[in-house]
Amino acid sequence: MLPWIQHRWTGLCLLVAALATLMLFLYGFFPLKYHSGRMSHMDDLPNFIEGVSIDGQQVYSSGENSVVLMVIDGLRYDFVTEEYMPYTGQLLKNKSACIYVSVAEPPTVTMPRIKSPERKKEKAQWRRTINFWRDIFAMMTGSVSTFADVALNFGAPAVRGDSVLRVANARGRRTVMYGDDTWLRLFPGLWSEYDGTTSFYVTDYTEVDNNVTRHLDKVLTPNEKKKPTFDFLVLHYLGLDHIGHLEGARSPKIKPKLREMDEIVKKIFSAMQTWDRNGVLIVCGDHGMRDAGGHGGATPSEVLVPLVLARSSDFECPHPLGPGPTVAQVDVAPSVAWLLGAPPPGDSGGRLLPALLPQDPRQHLYLLHVLSSHAVKQDIPTNTEFYKQFQRAEQQFAHYLATGQQSAAKIAKEFYEESLAKMSEYLTQTKTEFDLFAIGVAIVLLYAIAISLLLVTLYSLQPDTRRKTSITSRSHQRSNIGSMIAFLVIFCICSAILITSCFITETKSQLCNFESFWILGLFAASSMFTITYFLIKTGIERIKDLSLLNELNAIDMLLIGATLFHCWSFFGTSFIEEEHMTWYFFWNTLMFFVLVRTVVILLMYLSKKLTGATEVQEKPELQQRMSAVGVGILPKWVLLIALHRYLRTMNQTGDRWLFLPDTADWLNAPENVFYLQAHLVVGTIGTLVICLRNLRFLNNVKHIQSMLTIAAVVCVLCYRIASNTLETPIDDIKTWDPVKIVDVFWAILIAQFLLEIVSYIGILKSCGLQPTRNNQSANKFEYSKPKAKSEDYFYDNLMEEPWNVEEVKLNLVRGLSHLMLNDLMLIVCLLMRPHNVVMVPSVFVTCVLTSQCMDHKLLDSKSGKKTEVADILSRTLVHMWIGILFFFYQGNSNSLSSVDLGSGYVGLREYCPVRVALRMGLHAYAGPAIAGAALFATIARHSETWDTYLQAIWRSTNILAAHRVYCVVVYCVIATIFRDHLFVWSVFSPKLLYDFVATIFSLQALATIAQLQFLAHTTNYLARMFTYKSRL
Amino acid sequence: MFSLQNQLELRKVTISSLITCIYLPSIITVISYKGILYSVGNGSSCFVLALIFVAELLKSFYLNSSSDAQAKKNKANKNIAGDILRGFVFLLCVKFTFFVGIILFGAPVLDCHEETLMLSLLLTLLTVFPLLLHTGVESSLQLLFGIRNYGKNTVIEMLVNNALLTVCGAWVGAVVIPLDWNTPWQKWPIPCYLGAVGGFLLSNVLTVLKVTLMSSAQKYPILNIFVQILNGFQVSKQ
Repeated sequence: MLPWIQHRWTGLCLLVAALATLMLFLYGFFPLKYHSGRMSHMDDLPNFIEGVSIDGQQVYSSGENSVVLMVIDGLRYDFVTEEYMPYTGQLLKNKSACIYVSVAEPPTVTMPRIKSPERKKEKAQWRRTINFWRDIFAMMTGSVSTFADVALNFGAPAVRGDSVLRVANARGRRTVMYGDDTWLRLFPGLWSEYDGTTSFYVTDYTEVDNNVTRHLDKVLTPNEKKKPTFDFLVLHYLGLDHIGHLEGARSPKIKPKLREMDEIVKKIFSAMQTWDRNGVLIVCGDHGMRDAGGHGGATPSEVLVPLVLARSSDFECPHPLGPGPTVAQVDVAPSVAWLLGAPPPGDSGGRLLPALLPQDPRQHLYLLHVLSSHAVKQDIPTNTEFYKQFQRAEQQFAHYLATGQQSAAKIAKEFYEESLAKMSEYLTQTKTEFDLFAIGVAIVLLYAIAISLLLVTLYSLQPDTRRKTSITSRSHQRSNIGSMIAFLVIFCICSAILITSCFITETKSQLCNFESFWILGLFAASSMFTITYFLIKTGIERIKDLSLLNELNAIDMLLIGATLFHCWSFFGTSFIEEEHMTWYFFWNTLMFFVLVRTVVILLMYLSKKLTGATEVQEKPELQQRMSAVGVGILPKWVLLIALHRYLRTMNQTGDRWLFLPDTADWLNAPENVFYLQAHLVVGTIGTLVICLRNLRFLNNVKHIQSMLTIAAVVCVLCYRIASNTLETPIDDIKTWDPVKIVDVFWAILIAQFLLEIVSYIGILKSCGLQPTRNNQSANKFEYSKPKAKSEDYFYDNLMEEPWNVEEVKLNLVRGLSHLMLNDLMLIVCLLMRPHNVVMVPSVFVTCVLTSQCMDHKLLDSKSGKKTEVADILSRTLVHMWIGILFFFYQGNSNSLSSVDLGSGYVGLREYCPVRVALRMGLHAYAGPAIAGAALFATIARHSETWDTYLQAIWRSTNILAAHRVYCVVVYCVIATIFRDHLFVWSVFSPKLLYDFVATIFSLQALATIAQLQFLAHTTNYLARMFTYKSRL
Repeated sequence: MFSLQNQLELRKVTISSLITCIYLPSIITVISYKGILYSVGNGSSCFVLALIFVAELLKSFYLNSSSDAQAKKNKANKNIAGDILRGFVFLLCVKFTFFVGIILFGAPVLDCHEETLMLSLLLTLLTVFPLLLHTGVESSLQLLFGIRNYGKNTVIEMLVNNALLTVCGAWVGAVVIPLDWNTPWQKWPIPCYLGAVGGFLLSNVLTVLKVTLMSSAQKYPILNIFVQILNGFQVSKQ
């Protein structure tokens, strides 16, 4: 299996495998059962039960009700006692109200602290909405939400599926909302009347509640016919939670607050008595609080919340006094829907609150039947016990309807309740359960891939000679059949192990259901195991000489160590939320190290130059080794540090300091528009200058490329003018169509590429266009070798290869890499927000200066050592760092809210998912993309021959792939460990998605490099054809 | 790597390190009992710096009290007032460099200047000041950047080590700032300030430990392992 580890693109293939494995992991981590979005109608109510007809709508009807849902944030179970809430306690005591223990889903809560511009407010609101999402979602749709619901909704956090509010709206009920405005964002357009309060100030605990209460008198007063003015009223009080956050559950302020809430309960309850129809009051908390005041964990005081149910007339609580039975949060939805005379919402899997169930057995049974048949519709497997129970219950119900036997009714009721309880448990579980078997297989496989990639990387870092001699004659003799058999044997063993573990763990995982699609997946996994096994085996056998790694200096050690360590820092949630801080810290340390090194080098140089008059022969060498950087490097480096200090202030990101005003806010203020435009112009012109400088490495045919680049930059500027971000004296441009400008821009970029390739093929030669040769670094190459070399001229031309093939290939790749870098920078320039455009030239400058300063051939190292491996290693890692750094400078973070949706629509007229996603992705990952392109351009620039180029590319792609997979595997382990953590939605899962996208992008980057080489080969082939023919 | 050759220097190093190990924790203890530990960044806690200044000055008198006559002659020839002035200007320069450096590496630009200034003063006092007192203006910089070798000079080695570990401590201290613990001591510049003091202290403790271990290793050779480990901790390049 030696050829595998030697192959240039093993890294790429392994990365593809890692991506597939990551998908398997994601499949296990986010079960794809998101909500169907089915809407329910009154007509859905069954009219026949086992052939016995029943008038569904009439039996279902609950009479006229007005429902008040009062949500008190942070209401703990032990708060609803006579001590804290005397009136409510009294109600409970004389059985005019019922109390239930409701179990809240562990919510995901961090309180935002926001007092800044719109842009940030949006981000914070997004977070806040996600925090309330679970509770409100469960209460209003009757089903547990999954991360897919959140992630597929991003950008517009509204519940798209069915909910109580939608069914109530469809039935023409009047819904009113006072309280937290999250409700308005979750159910837009479904309220007849509302007043949303924002609660960005945790310190405010009176005003938020007064804003809710102030409407109460008006809304509770019935009209002249004693009819209440609403059917469904939602009140959401936040004050209690705020006090809890500020001072804890034992605060003296808690008691007055609860008294206030009690007064409101009293007010509502007494108002309900004056109505001519039944009033129903549901008081509940959405989560509890710890004694210390926070909430979000899974301790009883946080998870157990009270649910108080009171009806205005002919109601007596059927339960004995005491803590009350346990219900689920999802039970609120069908109960409210029923009370409003609407069918249960489409995805609801809950039950009715027991006290609400009517006495009349016919209606009672019918309700149970509706709810359980509703649950059955949601893909309940038919071979389970509770489904059979449901069928039996149905039979008994039909029997009762036909004969009126009370015993049948009793049995039916029992069966229904039993199966309903099981079904609702099943529905909740399938939506929240992790596929641990798939997760486990994925992690082990990722681990194996990571190890084999590490070995492949180490193998590629060996010196050349070792690799050649290591192919002993013995390995040549080993026949192909032998290795095939070995492969098959190991493959069988792996499959057997996988299948056995399937049976041993008795998992319900899809991976083990042995259906046609998944069995393929299973075999793919086991063949991957086999491949990694052989790779690891050969790797361990063949890696013998890592002496080149001894050349690593302190800076390289820092790079490697920090890169390795960084992945493990994710064990702390704040290190995920504030990942940018880690990178800033690492980068600062690196810059500090390099600064010290530069100072040392400079001082050495100066002292040697001043004192070393005697060392005559050392001088030229000294000069030569300094010439790469020169004396000017020190001020340049200090300026670079200052630049980075400035860029760091550009966008506040993360979570904790998001609210702080940053430079971008200042620039975007209307009075500073001049400075914003200055940033924009400086950034764009800087990019132009860099692009023009990069054109040196191109086959710059009579400066046509330069013209095209300038034209592209003009397009970018025109686009900015047309989209009103840049002022100009020429009003004409403003009327131009931005979409057309962007089209022209794309055309120019494509033309550049075509021109470059065509000029290498040699077609243009016949048109009289020659590559410019005005400076020394321009590509000088000829297609044919100098004649002197081939002496027997009559020998076969083709055998001799008279073409200067290698050099042409190298030049082509060099040209294309630089062109790719240029075009990437131009595209990013177009996509970036105006204040961020300066990032584009900054990335490039940083890359260039850093690779200069980190060169291993500078003065402080001993001369004559082979440093190319150390160079490649440090260069790859540092470019990766720079990429990540700019990813965060640009304002990205590990939260979904920081994805810039606006950039997706640049130059598009309508929504097209692929294009929008591509633009958004490129915009978000602009930093890593440019840094990567710069890395490959640098490699192409610094390699002298085609072979060294190939080798350098091989090494650096391996390093990149290994790092990516390493990050992914460590993070997958962390996410699995913390799968029940409170922040799993707001912190861990988004980061997982970011990692996924990053993997796709690094795969794409490596594939692009592979394509470049492929292109070089093809072009070379074509060129040979053309020139050969033209010579004939 | 300390050598056991020069017993006198070794004793000096040990004693001065011991003094540091005593006076610095006492200062910190006193101010934390007074409840002003978290206001070390304010100008009002300048007295801490003054105390350190005095202590380092006294320590350097002890370190410089060399017995050999030649050094005394050299000292006598020099212009003391000029030296002090130059040293003072040099210290100011270093302080300013620290100030700019700290801001470049992430301290707030527009506010908290007072806090940053206090931190840079502390760093100057702990790193360059003792070196300056011991060797003079020119060589202290060269020593810090590792351009001049200090050979077998144990005292200078200790001082350079102290300086490097102090900077490292301040650097590492910044790690806790972004954590979401919401504690009062996560405010700028307290973690860095205390980190610097901690680094300095750690370096001194290590010095004492090493000297003790080395002298007892003569009796019990097994202790050499620990000496080797401690040498691994050494930041300075030698």
